Amino acid sequence: MIITNNLTKKYGDFTALDHLELSVKEGDIYCLLGANGAGKTTTINLLLGFITPTSGSAFINQLNVQENPLETKQFLAYIPENLMLYPSLSAVENLDYFSGIGGKNLSRIELEGFLEEAGLQSEAFHKRIGSFSKGMRQKVGIAIALAKDAKVLLLDEPTSGLDPKASNEFGNLLQKLRGKGVATLMATHDLFRAKEVATHIGIMKDGQLKQQFVASAISLSQLEKAYLETMEYKTYAS
Amino acid sequence: MIQKTINKELKELLRDGRVRISLFIVLLLLGVAVWISSRQYQHNNRDYAAAKLSERAVWEGQGEKNPHSAAHYGTYAFKPKYPLSLIDQGVDKYVGTSIFLEAHKRNEAQFSAAADQTGLARFGDLTPDFILLFIIPLLIVLLGYNAFTKERELGTHSLLKSAGAKGWKIVLGKWTALFLPILTLTAVLLLLAGLLLSNLTDYGVFQWSSLAVMGLVYLLYYAVFTNLVLWVSHWAKRSGISLVISLSLWIVACLAAPKAASNIAEARHPYPTRQEFAANVIKDKDAGLDGHNPWSKQAKLLEEQVLKEYGVDSLQQLPFNFNAYLAQNGEEHEAEVYFKHYNYLKEQYENQSGTYRSLALLSPFLPARFLSMAIARTDYATHWDFSDAAENYRIATQKFLNNNTAQNTTYGESGYKASAEFWQELPQFDYQPPALGQILANNRSNLTILGIWTLFSFGLLFFTAKKI
Amino acid sequence: MTMFRYNFKYESILLFRGRWIQVLIGLLILLFGFATYNGQQKTQKRKADIATINAEIQASDQNMLKLLDSVEQGLQVNARPWTVPNTPMAIGNYHPRVASKPPSDLSFLATGQSDMFTHFVKPTVRGDDLALNFSEMTSPVQLLFGSFDVAFVIIFLLPLLIIAFSYDVLSSERESGSLRLLAAQPISLYKWLMQKLALRFFWVAVITTVTVLLVFVANQVPVAKNFSTILSFFAISLGYALFWFALAFAVNLWAESSAKNAVALLGLWVLFVLLIPSILNQLGSTLYPIPSRALMINEMRTIKAEATERQDDILDNYLRDHPEYVVNDTTQKRSFWHSYMASQNLVKKELEPVLLTYENQLQKQQQLLDNFTWLSPAIVVQGSMNQLADNGSESYEGYRNQVIAFAAEWRDHFLPMLYNNQAFSSEDYAGLPKFTYTPINGQSKLSALFIVMCSVVVVLSIAALRFWVSSAEKHSII
Repeated sequence: MIITNNLTKKYGDFTALDHLELSVKEGDIYCLLGANGAGKTTTINLLLGFITPTSGSAFINQLNVQENPLETKQFLAYIPENLMLYPSLSAVENLDYFSGIGGKNLSRIELEGFLEEAGLQSEAFHKRIGSFSKGMRQKVGIAIALAKDAKVLLLDEPTSGLDPKASNEFGNLLQKLRGKGVATLMATHDLFRAKEVATHIGIMKDGQLKQQFVASAISLSQLEKAYLETMEYKTYAS
Repeated sequence: MIQKTINKELKELLRDGRVRISLFIVLLLLGVAVWISSRQYQHNNRDYAAAKLSERAVWEGQGEKNPHSAAHYGTYAFKPKYPLSLIDQGVDKYVGTSIFLEAHKRNEAQFSAAADQTGLARFGDLTPDFILLFIIPLLIVLLGYNAFTKERELGTHSLLKSAGAKGWKIVLGKWTALFLPILTLTAVLLLLAGLLLSNLTDYGVFQWSSLAVMGLVYLLYYAVFTNLVLWVSHWAKRSGISLVISLSLWIVACLAAPKAASNIAEARHPYPTRQEFAANVIKDKDAGLDGHNPWSKQAKLLEEQVLKEYGVDSLQQLPFNFNAYLAQNGEEHEAEVYFKHYNYLKEQYENQSGTYRSLALLSPFLPARFLSMAIARTDYATHWDFSDAAENYRIATQKFLNNNTAQNTTYGESGYKASAEFWQELPQFDYQPPALGQILANNRSNLTILGIWTLFSFGLLFFTAKKI
Repeated sequence: MTMFRYNFKYESILLFRGRWIQVLIGLLILLFGFATYNGQQKTQKRKADIATINAEIQASDQNMLKLLDSVEQGLQVNARPWTVPNTPMAIGNYHPRVASKPPSDLSFLATGQSDMFTHFVKPTVRGDDLALNFSEMTSPVQLLFGSFDVAFVIIFLLPLLIIAFSYDVLSSERESGSLRLLAAQPISLYKWLMQKLALRFFWVAVITTVTVLLVFVANQVPVAKNFSTILSFFAISLGYALFWFALAFAVNLWAESSAKNAVALLGLWVLFVLLIPSILNQLGSTLYPIPSRALMINEMRTIKAEATERQDDILDNYLRDHPEYVVNDTTQKRSFWHSYMASQNLVKKELEPVLLTYENQLQKQQQLLDNFTWLSPAIVVQGSMNQLADNGSESYEGYRNQVIAFAAEWRDHFLPMLYNNQAFSSEDYAGLPKFTYTPINGQSKLSALFIVMCSVVVVLSIAALRFWVSSAEKHSII
């Protein structure tokens, strides 16, 4: 579902992303680990079409992102790190708006259904988002993805700022989506959660994908060791 | 600690691109305004000097003529340009610069510049006072609206508190950092103007003391704004809100309040229309002494009085021409009528000023504006002063002319012509605007209001400093 | 189309819940209410002044007719000899007609120059055209501060409301992160932003129109009677508002944070509303200075002095200054007035060239300035408002010219009677010339609207440039 071919992004002399080769299939949850500035957000921005690659290409559902910006967005859902939504609108209204402008005209019952599926308590449906915790807002974000019937889900630091319970709930949601065949790419620092939910894990450094694992093949402590080792060879760019 | 705050604030300001740009633009505008203003000032003064000379030449070159004809031919009194008008033009554009002095009539100053211009003129001129009164307070708003809100938004506020920083020290530091660039800007402008003016010593008497007092007025005005902007910044929850509120304050104080005040003042204490004024004057003139009509009541009384005084039976026996004497008395009586009606106008204006003063509670702009104009000798009160001085000169001129006729002719004689050299004996009209001390005394109330604003705003600020 | 429907629904909900709509309504009612009330007060005063003077003339006419009747019946009258109304000069000089400029129904819209000039004059036969004083007695402080009229609210305050309303339309979404989420939807962000601003413009337009109409009705403005003028008023005001929304659109696209947007838009406000007009004004008077009135006065007096000498050949100088005396000497009467008029004409002819040169120079300066008014929509809209209110400088110039023409008509009515030694009788009263004011039709209202719309297009084009620049990611709008 998500494929990158030699995806490269340079800003002048600085290489943010260096010939990235990535592949996420249906039902995969791919966690991208790495320090700040390693290139995780750049990858996601490229996949979203927010920026254009210097060379190489990215594909969502076999469509070239650069050439088909609007079509690829039909398939993907995105939850940014700080998902604010519109504080003075309720959960239902936010969901209605974001799916509506994308072309999906849903009834109230359907909207509430998606919110429920995303795990939001029914008391919160008509409350204003301004009073929601980050976890609750994440759920609305998931609801948007569900309403959109997205095939691809891009997540940027979804569990940062969540307490263990919320983080766990979120992990379960991801598994549910995986069951529907959604391909998920998640950029994160959270080694623990990554090991819990991912099917595949990649470690990035200086714009390059240094290591890749199948999640079931390593333990958490091995993962941590591998991560730290990769980080120790950090060069101070001239 | 205060010093550290000042340094940090100043560094932040100077590194902020938009701040550098705005400061640069304001300096540019100031430079242009001063340059334009000084050119105009020189141009106006050349005009004034030339007009004065040529008018005097016209008067002296009348040749042989009956003095009363000369009185009707009249002469002009020109209003001089005071040096500080370079900085603040006040109401000069809207009042005339010359008064026509003729027999039997007191005229208003004619030919205001604005009457000749299009509606564009009502937008205002790019003069130093425009920058000083409108743009610099706006600059204060733009530089200081986020002084406190940014600390909250960046999260450094709690850092400061946990470091044990005292509230009033923080406030003092920020205040100084905000005020320093403004102080510098104002000082530069005034120094520049002062240097320019002291080099133009041919025209008018320039006093550094007046300039200094004007500078002080503006600095107080800016202090008030600085205090208010910082106060708003402290209480606002976000930078955006702080900006909107401070801006609204600027708009209300500098734009809306003066206009509303002038409309309310005009509605409460209206001036008579020109026609009404003229009609009232005519009515009073008719009821009073009529210099031309020897048959009127008061003339008769005067006649009897003078005859008794000189102990003669008929007017021909008097040692002077009674008609001329009568004419002068008529003139003086008419002048009294005019004084009465012009005083009514002054009263109305005083009442209007009262309205401005009460509305100054809404706006520190009002007292600052009035004070600035007064010190620059371009306010309405100075115009009244000039107008009265011209009137006194007019009466003296009529006396000069009528006396000549009274002494050199006999009752009933006609066809008398004064010699061509006679006109030179009339002293020239010389007007000196009131001294600084006098002006400040006259504007006590405005000074007081500005003082109250200053104290009040400082009070607000330091009261909230305790809450930090 | 669906994006628009959703945008419309939710933008309106957001504005309402964010209290924007309520604040806007409240503020506009307050501002327009005060401005209209103010303006109507001035209009009422103007009407009252004219009514008073008309009543006075009426009363004076009645007295005059009574007096005339007595004289015609041969009775003795108690009045100064030169004011007895059976001579044409007495009527012409002591019973002038009122030449007034009544306020238009929409005079309250813009004070224009109406606070500087008088609204009625009473030209006499003896009077000198040059002596006609058109300036009104107003406190110059009031002239300096200006008026809180509807034009002020529209030109100065409405843009600030628009700026407050729209400076962070894009930047707040960016700063709150919802922009990224929006950007991940299959929509065009430019289209989305344009719709949002268009909707805000729509609401501002609707609320402004409704509140203004309400305020007008509450202040007894004859809306139905002046329908087309009011329509023009709305057209130009909304066009001006559109200009400011276009600027907000451009700045939102080009600038970055909300704070920078606010500063940029405020800077533009200062530029268009304060700086450009005053710089233009200053430039005009620096490059093409108004000729010196003082020098003109002196020139005129020198000429008058010379002409006066020649006049002395025509008539005795004392009588010239006090023509009323002539009445005592019936043999002199006709020839005196004839000579008097002739000598006045002589002086006028001599002075005319000087005056004309002065006025031409003035006109040139004004025309040159007029050519540059398109630099700022604020100037264009102000001129337009002045025109709609019939209070602009062209309007007063028109009035002045009409008064001078009427003064000539008045004079010409009496001179034949004078020269033929005709007495003035009661029957002649009905035939006295009357003055009617005709408002001039200045610059077409459409051209003002056209200029403002052009400005909107220019701004939108600059905004559109962003579209090409955005390929460089450093300037991505996300």
